[in-house]
Amino acid sequence: MSAAAACSALFARDLRSVVRSRSQLYSSIFTPLLILVFLGNGVSEGLDPANLSDGNFTAYLVAGAVVMTAVFSSTFSSAAYYRDRDTGLMRMLLSSPHSARIILLGKSLAGVAIGMVQAFVVLCVAAPFVDFEWQYGLIPGLLIALAAVALLNVMLAGIAQTLASRIQTMQGFHLLMNLALFPLLFFSGAFFPIDGLPTWLEVLAYVNPLTYAVDALQLAAYASSDATYIGLAVDFAVLIALSAAVYALGLARTPKLTWSGA
Amino acid sequence: MVRSYGERRALDGFSLSVPAGGVFGLLGPNGSGKSTFITLLAAMEAPPEGRLAVFGEAPAPPLRARVGTVFQENAQDPLLSVRETLGLAGRLFDVPRATLAARQAELLVAFGLAGRENDGVASLSGGMRRRLEMVRALLHDPELVLLDEPTTGVDVDERRALWEALLGPARARRTILLATNDLAEADAVCDQVAFVSAGRVVATGTPSELKRGLRREAVRVTWPGVTDEQLATIATWPGAGDVTRQDGVLHVTVDDAAAFVPRLFEFAPGAIRGVQIEQSTLEDAYVRYVGHRTRTPEPVA
Repeated sequence: MSAAAACSALFARDLRSVVRSRSQLYSSIFTPLLILVFLGNGVSEGLDPANLSDGNFTAYLVAGAVVMTAVFSSTFSSAAYYRDRDTGLMRMLLSSPHSARIILLGKSLAGVAIGMVQAFVVLCVAAPFVDFEWQYGLIPGLLIALAAVALLNVMLAGIAQTLASRIQTMQGFHLLMNLALFPLLFFSGAFFPIDGLPTWLEVLAYVNPLTYAVDALQLAAYASSDATYIGLAVDFAVLIALSAAVYALGLARTPKLTWSGA
Repeated sequence: MVRSYGERRALDGFSLSVPAGGVFGLLGPNGSGKSTFITLLAAMEAPPEGRLAVFGEAPAPPLRARVGTVFQENAQDPLLSVRETLGLAGRLFDVPRATLAARQAELLVAFGLAGRENDGVASLSGGMRRRLEMVRALLHDPELVLLDEPTTGVDVDERRALWEALLGPARARRTILLATNDLAEADAVCDQVAFVSAGRVVATGTPSELKRGLRREAVRVTWPGVTDEQLATIATWPGAGDVTRQDGVLHVTVDDAAAFVPRLFEFAPGAIRGVQIEQSTLEDAYVRYVGHRTRTPEPVA
């Protein structure tokens, strides 16, 4: 039995589970879209943000909505570890002739794929309704966005798996994911440009890994030039290095299997 | 073997050899170390202190291909159908695609689940889900089957059907290790058993070997308010064996119930609410070796 076949079986099973959890599927896509519609239009019309270099605030917010979708999706996907543990399925998976690493790999790849699809759907649904520049062209822009979304999801899967391996309860896991990732979203450039922020906030933004995903997405779709942005070379260098390191760390940790809390 | 979890020793000098072929019962109360031993055999934990060998080898992930495990609790995804559940298990346990459908159909018929392939696992009754667990564990035709309390929550009819399917034609070519605290069930299906208490094996043998030498009959007496002094007195009577008490019911093994019961009524006139006489069972043998019953230990005298 090849490890690839086991991974693909787990991959298929996790995709099937997500497709059948309709509420999870819809909420991870619609929540960012609703934020885009209401917050984007509200701020654009009500506050007239003058510091944006390109387009209106709704268009600016799309990259943030895409990153937010990936964050939601990775949280939900990793919560599946707890569901599998509590339904007992994880014991069956780990009683198979494969190492725990293979089991985790199959499950986390499914999480990455689900997050990618959901985030890309948000981008594609929003794109026709906002004023995007596509400075590198539509197809290259979409490919750059897809690559950024893929790396972002790999990194988030690694973070989520690392946390899930050490936290006993699903409630604790959700709390910590929200505590860790939501502040990162706020100073990633998702909701306002980092250029021109107070120095302390700007420093925090530059050590924030989500900043580089937002920047790459802005450059791919929203921006008309590279000025005032970090740049694709730095964005992808940081995303590749971080996603590889964090994903490897996540895979190196096996989830706790025994229920010790109520 | 020794296996500790913090300060608690789940296995404490546990020593056992299970012969190939047939059904071997591991009998003891909850917390006696049965599930820990099963988990170690399935190579799902780091090896214990001491020596553990399955098929002559130290347990490791590749060995699990030769082992099928039914856990104490169901191991199923309620969002999947019966077919999808078995399809996932088949791929994880390397059942060739060409034979998976036939093997699946054969086992579903044997375990009374034919026609339920497309049903969601969540829609199955508790007994059906236990049977699905059996089908899943046998799908890759393992040489060793580990059953940890497999019939918990299963009614009597379902239990009979489950054992009939499990002990079918394949019985001779596989080894079944059954961990249970249901000694009547073990008495009915096991070729050999081991009594486990506090992380140790205290006796092994066939059920008839272990019952040999017991008093012939067991008397269960409903006697609310019986005192320890009264129990100690009864234990000294000629022909009386083990004396235990559980939930207001006194249990005494005796050579001759016909002589014991009248004496009991004379000893405690008006206090006894009911008497039941039966042949000694494996449970009585367990009491003899371990000193208390399997379910709620309450040793007396």
